[in-house]
Amino acid sequence: MPKHLIIGNGIAGVSAAEAIRALDPEGGITFIAREELLPYSRPMISNVLAGSADFSQLPIRGPDFYQDLGAEVVTGQEAVTLDLEDRTVTTSSGAQKDFDTLLIASGADPRKLKAKGAGAKGVFYLRSADDVRGILRALPGTTHALVLGGGLVGFKAAYGLLSRGVPVTMLIASGYPLSLQVDAEAGAMIQAELVKHGLSVEVGVEVTALETDTAGRVSRAQLSDGGALDCQLVVVGKGVWPSLGFIDPDQITVDAGVLVDDHMMTSRQGVYAAGDVAEHFDLARGTRWVNAIWPVAVEMGRIAGMNMAGRKVAYRGGLSRNVIRIFDLDVLTAGLVNPPEGEGYQVMARRNERLGIYRKLVFKDDHLMGATLVGQVEQGGVLMNAVSGRMPISGDKERLLEPGFNYAYLQPETAQAA
Amino acid sequence: MKSVIVHPERCVGCMQCMPACATAHSEAKDMFLATLEDPRPRPRVHVGAGPAGEGFPNRCRHCDPAPCALACLPGAILRDTETDTVLIDPDLCINCASCAMACPFGVIRYHDDRTAPPGKVVAVKCDNCLERLGQGLIPACVEACQSGALTYEESDQALKRQTDQVAASTVAAAGAARPAAPGFELMMAVKRATKETNRTRA
Repeated sequence: MPKHLIIGNGIAGVSAAEAIRALDPEGGITFIAREELLPYSRPMISNVLAGSADFSQLPIRGPDFYQDLGAEVVTGQEAVTLDLEDRTVTTSSGAQKDFDTLLIASGADPRKLKAKGAGAKGVFYLRSADDVRGILRALPGTTHALVLGGGLVGFKAAYGLLSRGVPVTMLIASGYPLSLQVDAEAGAMIQAELVKHGLSVEVGVEVTALETDTAGRVSRAQLSDGGALDCQLVVVGKGVWPSLGFIDPDQITVDAGVLVDDHMMTSRQGVYAAGDVAEHFDLARGTRWVNAIWPVAVEMGRIAGMNMAGRKVAYRGGLSRNVIRIFDLDVLTAGLVNPPEGEGYQVMARRNERLGIYRKLVFKDDHLMGATLVGQVEQGGVLMNAVSGRMPISGDKERLLEPGFNYAYLQPETAQAA
Repeated sequence: MKSVIVHPERCVGCMQCMPACATAHSEAKDMFLATLEDPRPRPRVHVGAGPAGEGFPNRCRHCDPAPCALACLPGAILRDTETDTVLIDPDLCINCASCAMACPFGVIRYHDDRTAPPGKVVAVKCDNCLERLGQGLIPACVEACQSGALTYEESDQALKRQTDQVAASTVAAAGAARPAAPGFELMMAVKRATKETNRTRA
């Protein structure tokens, strides 16, 4: 009876365990979980911050998840060392767990703020349910909050704080908001929407030092342009980095993330990786990539689990994608958004002021490589699947920009003639 | 198990399935009274126009595994295995549009609905008319469709019919391309007559 050990109880680990159980009713499954909570929806913590969801809504499975699955769990512990000869994992409490197959699904950690005073009270990240609890506790007495970083997490933090009635200033080091996700035009639309609701945005500015009051709580931020801002709360959204400190790179091949093959197996037989910690392949970029997003973690987890249970199933690769709703603005992106110049990409964009929508599509030859939709995002999945499925787009590509675009537009001509 | 099968080549784009669907999901179950309801009932089947203006009845395929369910952040999309239907729980839905990004067919919409808490915008899609099926009725879109673009039948039977049609068209085409040899028809007529005579004699 094989023993499956899973480091992490996030969505990759949970999806893997469920895939294992579907194929292997007998095998042992053990989770090593850093947080005490039941598996929960990490992307939803920003909804809790905004007040549109409650902590009780976070768990993604029922209270008897582990029992129903016939799995064991050790909570509040991290993997510290892997012994691949003895096939054991040592946890932070010193306990040893042995395995036949191992899944590394340890996720990713937020990048730390490097400024002086970054450890002050009132400085938060937005990564776990506990982070949100901390931010909510710090709200009373906060008259002005600072959000560092103009990425998705920064935006969700700013949106959440504004929804709670806290004035927010967002500092963005790069040229415009969401510069990794959208192009400049969509970035400007998003910024305008947030500014309309009371957000101040400063571009090209970073925090150099944080000052504290007598209680050790942040009170003022020194900025790289020589200015300063009063603030009682700072949320850092500088991206995430794969959580792989416990992995010896001499034993398991590591790049930005843990390198995996199409079966989610690492360079070591029987050791798999999935989710935010794993580096596989990006379908639009055509290169190895860490796609640290929820839907890719689900896909990778399922593939890893099936392979761990002995069914050889291959993953074709992931695709960057994201969707956010900011006040009355919906933004959906998939695949390649800002293609490199001079590599044969064809970009088409159309803005409809009356309908308040903007669409940008990136093509290479007959294939759609990426899409940005602002407003009317319902058909985003159709475009996303055209990208990931490498569906050839014949005929007039411009028609994909039409407001009436729907699934029928992608049907081959023969189906219409029949 | 019977399911709704879409034959896009037969769709004339009349859109009658859409009000039928909205009515089926209304409180009143009557098209005229339904228009007075708040929230206004809306269709779950969407007749899109293709690039040449041809109709295309687009409806949830209840995929297995369902990409929308895998992508759902709060775990609000589940499969009812008894009816093979993918359902969205409006109480759990947080209107995050992750399913919009996942659905390869673009059949999910976001609006208020009488099944959702009042004033809450949720993801809405086809529920296979489970309410009607419970009353012994067939799905409303199929009942409304007059052109045969939507049928309610066993999917293996529908597949077999398609296969037979393709096979028949191949044979017919082959026959047209290669006329029978001279005298073949006469010979067959004699054979058939002989057989018939023998049968009636016996």
